[in-house]
Amino acid sequence: MKRTVDVSIPLGPVHPCWKEPARVKCETRGEYVLSAEVELGYMKKGIERIMRGRPWQEVMFLAERVCGICSVIHNMVFIEALESISNIPVPDRAALLRVVVNELDRMQSHILANFSYCYTIEHETLGMYLLDVRENVMDELERITGARVTCAYIVPGGVRFDLRDEDALHLRANLAAIEEEITRYTGMFENGPLIALRSRGIGVLTREAAREACAVGPTARASGMPETDRRLRHPTYQKLGFTPVSREEGDNYARIMMRFQEVLQSIALIRTCLDTLPEGPIRGGGIPGAGETAYSGEAPRGELSYFIKTDAAGRVLDIAIQTPSIMNIEACCHYMLKGVASLADVSSTFVSSDPCIACTER
Amino acid sequence: MSGYLYEKDLSSMKYAILTSTRHDRMVREIADDLGIAQLKLRRYIMDRFDMLLMENLPARYEEGKRLTAEAPAPERDLKTHLYSRAVPLIEEEEMDRIFSQVKDLMDDGSPEDEAVSTGRRLIREAIQA
Repeated sequence: MKRTVDVSIPLGPVHPCWKEPARVKCETRGEYVLSAEVELGYMKKGIERIMRGRPWQEVMFLAERVCGICSVIHNMVFIEALESISNIPVPDRAALLRVVVNELDRMQSHILANFSYCYTIEHETLGMYLLDVRENVMDELERITGARVTCAYIVPGGVRFDLRDEDALHLRANLAAIEEEITRYTGMFENGPLIALRSRGIGVLTREAAREACAVGPTARASGMPETDRRLRHPTYQKLGFTPVSREEGDNYARIMMRFQEVLQSIALIRTCLDTLPEGPIRGGGIPGAGETAYSGEAPRGELSYFIKTDAAGRVLDIAIQTPSIMNIEACCHYMLKGVASLADVSSTFVSSDPCIACTER
Repeated sequence: MSGYLYEKDLSSMKYAILTSTRHDRMVREIADDLGIAQLKLRRYIMDRFDMLLMENLPARYEEGKRLTAEAPAPERDLKTHLYSRAVPLIEEEEMDRIFSQVKDLMDDGSPEDEAVSTGRRLIREAIQA
């Protein structure tokens, strides 16, 4: 069907405010955005195809290379999928250490997403403050796992390294500093009049639209869908008494505030883990065998699912990865951007959904 | 000869998306359900959907199937929500028109299965048109 519009405006594939290349084609009437379409294909890795036929020992390293920002959760979901296929138990201490590392990864991802948003709405000061805090989180990740990204910390039946007492002390001290700073920056974001002008009531995603696009993670929870949090169904998080936070506004402001709230929630979760960390082994052993499963976990951006089929030697026969950015970017481009009143808000709305193109294209 | 720098033929990339494990399963299920050739359905989806919607189709399809199963009888059998909202193969207005035709047939005394199969034929024709 031929549509008559004033002008079709493409954004990207290279945009100074976006972390990765994508092309958003907006059809506009004046400044008003009528619809948006997305073109991908600038960074396709074909990683699922590379994984097929390889032993799990190789695939676990490939899995965390799907995304450089949330590599820990890819590692965790892949390994936990193998553990569920082969009924491999995980010692309590290792299960809690997995939560510690996963929450640190979530914190750095959320802080980076909020930095990107602040940078996009030209509040560079707050953006740089946030990047500074993120470095502290990355340092803690490195101290525990030995690497800032792609740490391969989680292995079948446990984790690779134990948490030393001096590292736990350092982590607690750093968490206190991070909490203080994030609380201050949350206040700056919450009360900034210019931030409110660029964020409140812009890029609204209603609960119904979020449901239709299958939105997940902070994007869905900012539209009043706390039930989408996969941590509610994870046994270790259940033991920790995890309760998701959510908001109702569904606009850019709510999505950024949601991430600030979740950073503070992650700090509380890590503290609970440290308080209740039992003595004992960190690796129980176990070898992945043949089977097929669909396994999901809560990545920083939302529900991450692995569909895996393995043979008796633990070789991956078939694998499909459903990343949260697929759903969230779709929700953004086909629902949030539709009806945005100014083209200037397109890039900020796009960034507010925390798009990860590396995950989307895999 | 001049051309747009970034306007490219996306067919091969769209085809790569559609032939991945979960997409392929979805296409086969829909093609079997509607009685359409898989190749034709793939071509139809590639022409109609942007890459992001295509990437998200398996998630939307699963959620659409769940919601369709909860819907009342004629909508459930006709899968109105699934084929117009979750996997938007036809426009909502077109689906509303087909649904009202099915309702009219039922009001005129046609058995429900017959009216629904007429509706499914209309959906198939709308896709193949």
